[in-house]
Amino acid sequence: MANQETQLLDEIIVTSRRKMLTFGAASLAGLVAAATTKSASAQAAAVASYDDQDILNFALNLEYLEANFYYMAAFGTTIDVANAASTAAGAPQVSLTGTVGTAGTVSGGSKVPFTTIEVASYAIETAIEEGKHVATLLMALGGAAAAQPAINIGTSFQTLAAAANQAQPSGNIPSSFSPYASDVTFLVGAYVFEDVGVTAYHGAASLLTMSSNLTVAAGILSVEAYHAGLIRTTLNYLDPDGSMGLLGYTNSISNLRAVLANQALLGVLPSPTSYDAVPDDYGLSSFTTPKPLGGSMAATATRIVDANPANVVAFARNPTQVLNIVTGGGAVNGTTAVSPAKGVFFPAGLNAGPNGFK
Amino acid sequence: MKTLDQLVEKALSRRSFLASASAVTASVVVSGCGGGSSTTTPTPTTTTTPVTTSTAAYSDADVLNFALNLEYLEAQFYLYAATGGGLASADTSAPTGYTGTYTEGSVTVGSAAQVPGLTSAQQEILNEIAFEEQTHVQFLRSALGPAAVPMPAIDLSFFGPLGVAAKVTTAATGAGSFNPFSSFDYFLVGAFIFEDVGVTAYSGAAPLITAAGVSAGYLTAAAGILAVEAYHAAYVRTSLTARAIAAGSASAYPYLNAANMVEALRATLTVGASAAPSTAGSVETLLVLPTNLTTPSAIVAADPSNAVGFARTVNQVHHIVYGSPTVGVAKGGFFPNGTNSIFATTTA
Repeated sequence: MANQETQLLDEIIVTSRRKMLTFGAASLAGLVAAATTKSASAQAAAVASYDDQDILNFALNLEYLEANFYYMAAFGTTIDVANAASTAAGAPQVSLTGTVGTAGTVSGGSKVPFTTIEVASYAIETAIEEGKHVATLLMALGGAAAAQPAINIGTSFQTLAAAANQAQPSGNIPSSFSPYASDVTFLVGAYVFEDVGVTAYHGAASLLTMSSNLTVAAGILSVEAYHAGLIRTTLNYLDPDGSMGLLGYTNSISNLRAVLANQALLGVLPSPTSYDAVPDDYGLSSFTTPKPLGGSMAATATRIVDANPANVVAFARNPTQVLNIVTGGGAVNGTTAVSPAKGVFFPAGLNAGPNGFK
Repeated sequence: MKTLDQLVEKALSRRSFLASASAVTASVVVSGCGGGSSTTTPTPTTTTTPVTTSTAAYSDADVLNFALNLEYLEAQFYLYAATGGGLASADTSAPTGYTGTYTEGSVTVGSAAQVPGLTSAQQEILNEIAFEEQTHVQFLRSALGPAAVPMPAIDLSFFGPLGVAAKVTTAATGAGSFNPFSSFDYFLVGAFIFEDVGVTAYSGAAPLITAAGVSAGYLTAAAGILAVEAYHAAYVRTSLTARAIAAGSASAYPYLNAANMVEALRATLTVGASAAPSTAGSVETLLVLPTNLTTPSAIVAADPSNAVGFARTVNQVHHIVYGSPTVGVAKGGFFPNGTNSIFATTTA
């Protein structure tokens, strides 16, 4: 039963994703209207030189990054080294069994001096879940798993903060920004990752060809969306009217991600004012609903959900878009794709097989 | 390369179990009142019913229409909570050119009303979710065109009986009936009934889309809506957890336990297709109340072995929204005349 279902799911995702890539972030109503004549598998076979291993390894690189960030923030250690804090919390110690590519080290970061139970417990929960995602993908890939690449979770945040301020000058994230300074700055640091994880899994899942892999990718997608919802909800609670500046930070970060994603999609770097050439990402500032609520009137609404307001379907990004975000623009030079992409979080690039995403 | 097969073995064997289960041990049947009152006493009954196995023949439109039924319910709930009114008639009637046999139902409003005493930030949250669920209704109707089913009859007064069945009423207040429209905290518990279910319903329904649906982009839509439902679920679970932490104890903030009792009821209603929270085979993750800086919260609902999210079948979802664990039931609970769906009658 599951096999047949997931096979169908797979075919569907591949085709629909191809169309998403083709049409950019056109409304899904538009996608529904546009029919293809080729079967999904035929299309996928015709263009794909990568396989499921490449997709899963791409996801694994991102999970290495996320898991190490959360382990460092929550416990003050990396995923492969247990300490008293990680052991007490029941966090898995991940054995780094991946061998493909060049193994690197994790640099930067320190345990956040949490003062609130809320944020501390969220950090610990998220660390544990991201650690399990790494372990799950490592087990699945076995001997084909990518080694953990060099990861910078220290100075890369300051680099991105400066870039975010350029994308949205009014955001004004302090140049000394460190996600490890306090409960609040940790949340802002986590914000950098979480919606990216959602869009990456949404985008990458569609490229998978093996049904069981797709089932897991969809399940991880939902967990990443829970994480993103958690972070956005908590930031919104802390600063409901934006007076603390947190909403401005999220706007700046989202705008930067949209700039980088648009650059990878369109081959051009949009000006800061047109970062939203293709809708891709929204910060936490309130918005006015584009339609009335029921028989009532349009209303002011929060933006806990990061989705296209035209259809309220979450965004998806292709691997190049995600690469361009996590390398701070390293995947594109003008209109030319750069491979391997390297920069900010991945100073030596990602680890991948010959046809993989890096 | 190894596949993820081994890793999802647990989930898949659970699925096989669902497909091949030969009996359910049913327990509480929650009965809705359907009369607009929120004080009607439920009628619990105990039954044991054999599972009939059947292979449904369905189309992509059937799958999307299943999702549309759930979105009608969610949209009405959130719109009433946010504004005191429901979906516009243009969003509930049979579309132009509709040739199906389902008819438009009405909403039993009961005590549904704009939640009183909201801060402006809370009002904006309700506005957001109401807008998003309404847009999902409009989007699915647009995607389905003339094949979109009209809204079925929806009973928003079913929260009362459901709350009694889950023992939420006494847990939270010691007296009186559960009314999610009476305060922000009770609203969160009401929303909790739906949100994790919405996430898993999309996970479970998406694979039912046929290969022909590939060209229509239906699956990308389902995956994207799945993510939005997970954002909503995270909002509700984070809010309950944060407010409990702020209150300092479970007794000072009984709504967290109330939500967990809803989870226990959901597991009971899907008995044979799920297990009690915190046991093997469960698709529920109970909320916890962290009391120090060194223990995790439980915002995410996922398999604890690998942190991969859950899925529910169309039958499991129907058991929950009908408030009945019985196989062969075609209506009840939030849908007093059943869903306008080929999956309306539970088959497992």
